[in-house]
Amino acid sequence: MLLRKLFRTLWKYKAQFISMVIMVALGIGVFLGFNVEWYSLEINTKEVYDATGFADYRIYSDKGFSPEDLDAVKGIAGVEDATRFLSLDVSVKDSSDTLALTVSENMAVSGVLVTAGEPYSAEDPDGFWLSDSYAKANGISLGDPLTLSYQAITVSGTVKGLVKSGEYLICLPDTNQMMPDYDTYGFVYISPAMLDRSVPALYKMMVGSLYHQINVKSSLDKPAFVAAADKALGSTRLVLSKGETVSWAEAQGEVNEGKTMASILPVLFLAIAILTMVTTMHRICASEKTQIGTFKALGFKDRRILVHYSAYALIIGLLGALLGIAVGYGLGWFIMNPDGAMATYIDVPSWKLYAPAFTWVVIAGIIAFLTLIGFLSVRKMLQGTAADALRPYSPKRMKHLRFEETKRFKRLGFGTKWNLRDCVRHKSRSLMTLFGIIGCMVLLVGGIGMKDTMDAFLDVFFEKAINYATRVNLDEKNMTLEEGKALASSLDGDWAASRAVQIGDKGYTLEIYAITHDKVRFADTEMKIIPLSDEGAYICSRIARDFRLKAGDELSFTPYDGNESYTVPVAGVLDSMTEGIFMTDAFADRIGLTYKVSSVFTDAAEIPDDPHILNRQSKQSIMDSFDIFMDLMNKMIWLLVIAAVILGIVVLYNLGIMSYTERYREMATLKVVGFRDSKIGRLLISQNLWLTVLGILIGIPAGVGILRYLLDALASEYELKLVLGLPTWLVSILLTFGVSLLVGLMVARKNRHIDMVAALKTSE
Amino acid sequence: MAIVEFKDVSRVYRNGDHEQRALDHVNLSLEEGRFIVVLGPSGAGKSTLLNMLGGLDSPTEGTITVNGKDISKLTPNELAEYRAATVGFVFQSYNLIPTLTVIENVALVKEIAPNPLSSHEMLKAVGLEDHIHQFPSELSGGEQQRVSIARALAKNPHILLCDEPTGALDSETGVMVLKLLLSMARDMGKTIIIVTHNQNIAKMADVVIRVKNGRIRSCEEQAAPLSVEEVDW
Repeated sequence: MLLRKLFRTLWKYKAQFISMVIMVALGIGVFLGFNVEWYSLEINTKEVYDATGFADYRIYSDKGFSPEDLDAVKGIAGVEDATRFLSLDVSVKDSSDTLALTVSENMAVSGVLVTAGEPYSAEDPDGFWLSDSYAKANGISLGDPLTLSYQAITVSGTVKGLVKSGEYLICLPDTNQMMPDYDTYGFVYISPAMLDRSVPALYKMMVGSLYHQINVKSSLDKPAFVAAADKALGSTRLVLSKGETVSWAEAQGEVNEGKTMASILPVLFLAIAILTMVTTMHRICASEKTQIGTFKALGFKDRRILVHYSAYALIIGLLGALLGIAVGYGLGWFIMNPDGAMATYIDVPSWKLYAPAFTWVVIAGIIAFLTLIGFLSVRKMLQGTAADALRPYSPKRMKHLRFEETKRFKRLGFGTKWNLRDCVRHKSRSLMTLFGIIGCMVLLVGGIGMKDTMDAFLDVFFEKAINYATRVNLDEKNMTLEEGKALASSLDGDWAASRAVQIGDKGYTLEIYAITHDKVRFADTEMKIIPLSDEGAYICSRIARDFRLKAGDELSFTPYDGNESYTVPVAGVLDSMTEGIFMTDAFADRIGLTYKVSSVFTDAAEIPDDPHILNRQSKQSIMDSFDIFMDLMNKMIWLLVIAAVILGIVVLYNLGIMSYTERYREMATLKVVGFRDSKIGRLLISQNLWLTVLGILIGIPAGVGILRYLLDALASEYELKLVLGLPTWLVSILLTFGVSLLVGLMVARKNRHIDMVAALKTSE
Repeated sequence: MAIVEFKDVSRVYRNGDHEQRALDHVNLSLEEGRFIVVLGPSGAGKSTLLNMLGGLDSPTEGTITVNGKDISKLTPNELAEYRAATVGFVFQSYNLIPTLTVIENVALVKEIAPNPLSSHEMLKAVGLEDHIHQFPSELSGGEQQRVSIARALAKNPHILLCDEPTGALDSETGVMVLKLLLSMARDMGKTIIIVTHNQNIAKMADVVIRVKNGRIRSCEEQAAPLSVEEVDW
């Protein structure tokens, strides 16, 4: 019998019940979704790193490494395994595509995961193990012939396997590109035997060893490893840890981004869900008080009544959790499905979804907590004797408020006084409404503001900083500085040189620019374009933050493959896509830094064939790679906007119905006295609108605060300046206002159906 | 002149196949300025009669004319205007707005009534001039009922409709409230209609209407109604 009552009561409070289930589902869904996102990313990428022997350290040398060098490194205590490694950008014959030609002598380190075709063979004379994503994008199948060229060297063979590799998990040609573009760039592995066969003996004699890298698996920390490597190899080398590689750092950045998102948004949703639950359960129990009293008077034990009413909260928790788990996995799938932007960014063989173990504990905790809320609400109504419990719940007595003594208050209309006192009398309901509106506003400002910020960043980067049509990358190792400058001059372009340097024990890129044609520009931390002065070095804001440097301070760096250290004044801080140091050629010359031209930036319509040119990148291709990134961003923003609107509607509707129920009798009185439905409706809506205005006023700084927190959390990946455009303010405010007004109208419509007679017959 | 006229009025409530006839072909004519008591057992239809007259409900059949105007076919908004201008209601359970003070509860009718009277004057008339800034929850039941009467009167209605106005009060307070209502009829010329099952109240009335099973059993003029003090409470 009680079970039947349980379902009938659920039906009676269906609006509150459904809205609570939705709130709990949203809270758990967002919580689980973001945690599934970062955790799945971590597991899926780890599988590739483990399967392909992703190296912990990379030792670089311009001169190349001999087999003896490799043995010396392998001999370091704490080194588990090592390989000589080559990665070189080469051209694909009959196309403008570039592939990173890769050879690892020992495929247990920095090897491949074969997804189709033959297993990799170190002795294979003519086989290519090609990136499966590149093959897919370019319609290349197993068995297809492929010819690659590097200067005068040609390598020909057939595609024998399709692979993935941890080394190319995020396959970017250079740091200016944010998203992989497999249409034009990929990677390919060949065997050491094939490399040896393809490279002419004369070339080998000229360059010495072809292997410019030794990749190492080791559990040593970086300072210990660097010291040991220096000792083993006899000189200072550029050593990059896995944390300094794009594949590891960016994937880890995504994981951290997910963790950040998982720590902010779900808290907001869950907090609102729990607070709404407290308010709703209290109200439901209050209106059920006489029934609770009746059970008690009939002889039901308190425990049975407690179990019966706590079951409502438990059902809400269970249904909300079930729905939330579906929403969570849906959200995870939405962000990371194999056809989505994340799969384009991070090249893993499968996107399986995993939830961290703690999420299940948290979800169970939430269900238990919601049940406890129900339990405590009923227990409060059960206090005292059966006669006490039988008396209807009486709300708090009205007391005079301090501001009522003011003249201004006395001049207010009755509707205003009515609403003001009602807000104060039902504080929890009013506060919850306020929280709902603040939450809605925070999500909108945060979500749309993120897009504004990103758009502003890309606008500065693409529309202002990149003022060239083509970036031409040169084979700097095989040309002199003068040849590079002459090539730049013939193309009417600006040029840049790049050196690997170390600040402390961290590796960075030093970029030296000669700007005479205004083809490359730089933005300061206020996103304003500034000219580079010849009086010092500029640093990106990430370095400024990590080393606590500002303009006027001194910066010390040491180039790799050199012994001297440089201490230079910091001329300014830049917001930059790449993490590095920047200076003019004039300043580099003054401090005696040597360099070679590595890139030319030009508008030249025709770029002549030149053996020194490695490849060309159009501005459009760099911009296109961002489209995929922006697509991912836009998806997230849509999710936030939809979540904001659902949150706003559900919370406000639930509380609106609660307010309507609680003031039903008062509204019936007003109706009997002669108030029109429209006037009563306006009174109801005006209270909602006041709270909306207040919520918006609080929501604006709160939204900006959350956005600032998010940008700070993302600061290791992007140098973003918070930008919020007028349309964002307008859309956020109007949408929040619209949601509130819509819900207000939905609730106010109900007052047409007030049964004056029935309402006023009941006792106070 | 008749201020209220019921012509063949019926009110039928339908609930699925079940039909309940709360008023059954009622005909009635009431004069202005009288103190009228409607008597009858529970479920007789007396409250339905009062609700029809108060514009809270509309008849299924027949016409109700108040002050020469047919109120039986009015729209919800026209009914609201009618309630604001013509009738005042006093309920057994007071129905005051808990978040408004005594004076505010009375003054709120100024928002809608075309010719409202002074709220202060009305509260003075019911003897509550010293309690105007208190909230209803700070008053006794009798005091709350007097606020409710003051609010009804402040609209300056032609008719005051009272549904068991003393039902929730002790006899002493009830007598005080009845005295007040009687003086409204005698001194202010209002038509007072009281619905009750208390036979004693009928002894004070100018007209006593007896209702049973949705029909008017009798409608009698009392030539010499008793004063409140003369009734044995």
